[in-house]
Amino acid sequence: MSNFSNDVLTTLKILIIGESSVGKSSLLMRFIHDRFEDDLGLTIGVDFKTKTVVIDGNSVKLAIWDTAGQERFRTLTPSYYRDAQGAILVYDVSSRVSFVKLELWLNELEMYSNRKGIIMMIVGNKIDKDKREVSREEGIQFAKKYKSLFIETSAKTKDGVEYAFDELVQKIIETPALWENTRYRQTQQLTDDNITDNQSSCLC
Amino acid sequence: MGEDLCSEYDVIVIGTGMTESIIAAAASRIGKRVLHLDRNDYYGGMWATFSFDALQRWLKECHNQDQKNITNFKNKTYISQDEILISCGSQSSVSNIDEQWFIPKNVPVNASENSFSKNEKNDFWDQEKIKNLSRKFNLDLAPKLLFSRGSLVDLLISSNIARYAEFRSVSRILTWYNGQLETVPCSRADVFSTKDVSVMEKRLLMKMLQLCAEYKPNGNEFKNFEKKTFADYLKSKELTENIVHYILYAIAMSSINTPCMTGVERTQKFLSSLGRFGNTPFLWPLYGSGELPQCFCRLCAVFGGVYHLKRTADSLVVLKTDMKSICKGIVSNDQFLSTHHLILNVSEAPSSFLQETFNEGLSRGIFITNRSIYSSEKESLTLLQFPYGIKNKPITVIEIGSSTHACPDGLYIIHMTCKQNTNATEDLKPAVEKLLEIEQIDLDPSHSASSGISGFAYDYEIYSGAIDMTNKENQEVKSVRPQVLWALYFNCLETSQCDLSVNVPSNIYLTSGPDADIDFEFAVKQAKEIFKKMYPNEEFLPRAPDPEELLLDDEEIISGDNNSSLTSTE
Ligand SMILES: Nc1nc2c(ncn2[C@@H]2O[C@H](COP(=O)(O)OP(=O)(O)O)[C@@H](O)[C@H]2O)c(=O)[nH]1
Ligand SMILES: [Mg+2]
Repeated sequence: MSNFSNDVLTTLKILIIGESSVGKSSLLMRFIHDRFEDDLGLTIGVDFKTKTVVIDGNSVKLAIWDTAGQERFRTLTPSYYRDAQGAILVYDVSSRVSFVKLELWLNELEMYSNRKGIIMMIVGNKIDKDKREVSREEGIQFAKKYKSLFIETSAKTKDGVEYAFDELVQKIIETPALWENTRYRQTQQLTDDNITDNQSSCLC
Repeated sequence: MGEDLCSEYDVIVIGTGMTESIIAAAASRIGKRVLHLDRNDYYGGMWATFSFDALQRWLKECHNQDQKNITNFKNKTYISQDEILISCGSQSSVSNIDEQWFIPKNVPVNASENSFSKNEKNDFWDQEKIKNLSRKFNLDLAPKLLFSRGSLVDLLISSNIARYAEFRSVSRILTWYNGQLETVPCSRADVFSTKDVSVMEKRLLMKMLQLCAEYKPNGNEFKNFEKKTFADYLKSKELTENIVHYILYAIAMSSINTPCMTGVERTQKFLSSLGRFGNTPFLWPLYGSGELPQCFCRLCAVFGGVYHLKRTADSLVVLKTDMKSICKGIVSNDQFLSTHHLILNVSEAPSSFLQETFNEGLSRGIFITNRSIYSSEKESLTLLQFPYGIKNKPITVIEIGSSTHACPDGLYIIHMTCKQNTNATEDLKPAVEKLLEIEQIDLDPSHSASSGISGFAYDYEIYSGAIDMTNKENQEVKSVRPQVLWALYFNCLETSQCDLSVNVPSNIYLTSGPDADIDFEFAVKQAKEIFKKMYPNEEFLPRAPDPEELLLDDEEIISGDNNSSLTSTE
């Protein structure tokens, strides 16, 4: 499906934030590899994952960044937030604390995100669990207050995961101001072999 | 305090400056358990980059530092018989802070509306407006450049950390010659396109640079100059005065006292970095130098390193035997954390570890201005070695505009750095006086009334940046000096020349803060050396794997673009 069009419309940076163990890495794993592990442990080596999705016939490349555990003591680097077009804010519906703490994550996002109008998706995860401490209504109210999208998910059962990402990306694409100029923005990746060859590397 | 930390580590790193962060990343990358702490609530220590507000908070903290009393733990519960507790220091490394505003707190609305109705009101800069744009500023405590073929660029590419950072190449190199600014031709294209230099001089310049570039240790060219200065050598070559000046000050970044072979080496370094990215040898990290330590921290975290800011070592537990002493761990927030190796920024080191009192320092100046020191059609990113600082020591000037995300549109940030002589304000004066306008802008209505409206308009013109370009010859516009809106001077320690291992237990490694050089070479070198001491048989920052596919791998490169991200070739 992603090969439908070779022409990638744009590349989007999407962040996942929220308290430790709410299931951020699990959501990413589910979305990218359609896998779930009961104990991801402290996922070592998960940096960011990329995936190409098709929105309205256009390929959009997603680079989804995991926190690399730096959320544990709220020590994400400001550069983590840099240039993101979308953010997925996760809490665990079976943990009220994780829901209450979401406000701090919203503040941090607002503090460091440098793109105006970054799109947010608030995700209440782990709805497969019997124990629930945060109702769906509360989640919706909270999302409304912060003008954020909202969905409840389970990384374990797959429920809502695809929707969370798709909906976020759709909304970003509907907001061209967030990404249109990125393609022509003066910040491109330059590879080692793209050395400007119109000048010799030394004067001899 | 919430979650507690695991209490056993291979490496504990204290301070998130450049050197510490590289070491943390390197240790974590080879599977060591790393704990990385910083007493501040921000990354980077003396390498940090701040928004305007954050910089104000930093200044406040510097002022308060003297009152900080070091808690002396007498609590013996952490230690056994042969062990001792050593309190950590908190060396105040910043002094002579001097912050100045040159614009009014806020421009009275009626003044701007009545007198200059034709101009947009927002052409006025006042303090309030600058503060309101706080987050548009990325102000570096230690602004540095990367040589395109320097060790940091190589390391970023080989370790795959380059993916976390973006760069912009320095677009021009200026020099101060005969009382004015001039562009230094430094690439082949530049040399041929420049109008300041005659054809004859171009040949001389090219030939000279070629000699330096081709220099081999056993060659004859420099035989008689090994004990002389680079300036002596250049003078012997029958070059014109301006060519000598370009090579000595701008390309070799030297002074009249620089030994010949040092000058040759620097010239080589400059030349070898040409043509890789952009048309000068230098890259500037987008969003400021403070991004780079964070990139290494990110890699460290990705490989399992644990991060905790606002937390540091209160004391060290050291086992003393007859022969030597060894650090067993640290006490932090009443918790004992054991470690095999401890990396400690010198500002955190117990005073007993420091053999000498530090007397080397850096003088720093940061200026917000309304225009470039040398206006050009396109916004430039400028490097200037101002040759005539105190005692003929050069002052490094870096000017960055809004396209580097250093400041809001319409403003420029000018960084100045030199070795400390007395204090920053005095040390930088020679360059400030020549390059900048530092008259106080007074919009007090009573003043403008007395001086007449025309005087007022003149002031306004200078500081608003609203000069009508079409009315003036290009040359004239160039010569208008930028008005400083805000200035900050400070001094900080420079320990790159100190031996930091003399009185230190064998598994503790002290790291320096920012050094006087223009690049990051020193930090990379120090980090590598320390890593080699800890893990002599391990690879230093081997390539980190890519996620399934390379991010942005098929993104096209727009030619003629100054921005570059470094990605490795496969
Ligand atoms: N029951 C259930 N457990 C989940 C779900 N998502 C994650 N987990 C578990 O919660 C724990 C923490 O998940 P992780 O993805 O590492 O959280 P992170 O710290 O936010 O990245 C792991 O043991 C997961 O298996 C879910 O939807 N349902
Ligand atoms: Mg995780």
